[in-house]
Amino acid sequence: MYGRRASQLVREIDSSEAGQLAPFNSDIFDQVIRECNEHNAQFQSLIRKMVEQNLDIETTRNEDHYGAAIHHLSLLRNKRCLMAYMYNRAEVIQSFRWKIGPVLPHDIQEKLHFSEKEYFKNHSAAIKSYISEMDIDLTVDMVPPKDPYIQVRVLEDIGEVSLGDHSVSLTKNSLHFLRRTDAEQFISQGLMEEFLE
Amino acid sequence: MSSWDDDDESASASASAATTDVELLKRAWRNEKAAPEVLRFDKDLVDRVREQIQLLEETLDDFADSGVDDLVVSLYQMDLDRTLFLLRSYLRLRLQKIEKYTMHISRSQDLKDRLSEQEQKFAKSCGEIMEKHLKQSVLSKLPYGYGDEFVTKQSLSSTEDDMTLVIEILHICMNCGPENGLYSLPTISSEHPDLICLFRHSVPEPQLDTFVFCKTKSDVGAFQLDDIGEEVVDLVADDLYVLRYKSIKGLVEGGRIDLI
Repeated sequence: MYGRRASQLVREIDSSEAGQLAPFNSDIFDQVIRECNEHNAQFQSLIRKMVEQNLDIETTRNEDHYGAAIHHLSLLRNKRCLMAYMYNRAEVIQSFRWKIGPVLPHDIQEKLHFSEKEYFKNHSAAIKSYISEMDIDLTVDMVPPKDPYIQVRVLEDIGEVSLGDHSVSLTKNSLHFLRRTDAEQFISQGLMEEFLE
Repeated sequence: MSSWDDDDESASASASAATTDVELLKRAWRNEKAAPEVLRFDKDLVDRVREQIQLLEETLDDFADSGVDDLVVSLYQMDLDRTLFLLRSYLRLRLQKIEKYTMHISRSQDLKDRLSEQEQKFAKSCGEIMEKHLKQSVLSKLPYGYGDEFVTKQSLSSTEDDMTLVIEILHICMNCGPENGLYSLPTISSEHPDLICLFRHSVPEPQLDTFVFCKTKSDVGAFQLDDIGEEVVDLVADDLYVLRYKSIKGLVEGGRIDLI
């Protein structure tokens, strides 16, 4: 049935949890593109047939006319579904810049279409250039601050880092009492976690 | 009766405190958070707050040099952190709205004028990036004539009008004749202005008729909520209301009512 595959893509978006991303469904996506080309071929041949029959196109309402109309509409519907699929995914992908950071972990990278990877990169760059123009980092301070200092546990070896006027050696599993603003960049990269007793 | 007096006192105290820039920023932030659409950017306020942040940072540096009590330092630090959060969150909220409604904003000069210079630049690149992405991933793969702007920005409505619409499109296709041996959709042009009206826009727009909680700052008086004057509400100072954003939009912009 025409349009079924395309609606599958839209349903996939609808049923996925808000903010979550399913792997790019290239299988169905390509099938829908092929279906579009098929619709177009049919559309073209029906119109050509009508022209060859020397029919008055203004008034003729034969089966070929309605056939062409259905192919045309089906194609537009498929297109709308494809665009909605891509657009909604792109919205989730751009939210990752705020939630995860400029570098996406491998398991998310794997879910993306090549154009989506590029989109994420370009979009991050646009945020970055806004931040540097405004000269204020918007990627820290995602939650309202309670205490200027927090206790953190280091998850991966980071090494010697200079924070403010002193340097700290951040080795795996060590505990530190850091300024929240300093710790946040490491937390968002997954290198540290807040240590709650 | 004494409890009533207390209330009055605290109300007037909070009214006078609301004149500091941080309070003003807090109000702008709250409005931005609650409003479905992007509001006017208050450049002067943001500039003033940033100056104050810088002053506070310098004060803190001086404290560190002169060995002021740690407790005092951490109180100042906390104050600074909170103001910084407010500012960052305010700017972030705006960027996220711009991301979401890029195309909608780009179509209206009034909305564009609400953005700061840097935000306008951001909005522009957001639009270009999204367009490039959609062209690259979808539009370039569609058959000739279907991948152009015409059907990008507008899409068919799914009503029974579709058949008449298609018939019209077909007529135009015929009249235009085949191009490169292929029949294609007409592209947007002044020749078919009425055709454009037949398409419904598929650009995401903010929901302006959503309900918002709001608090009046001063007496507004009888306020008309709809166009025909059937619903009128008396807005008294310092009272809470739940109203449609659309109807009180003007009051929010004029600073006569706060969203909460």
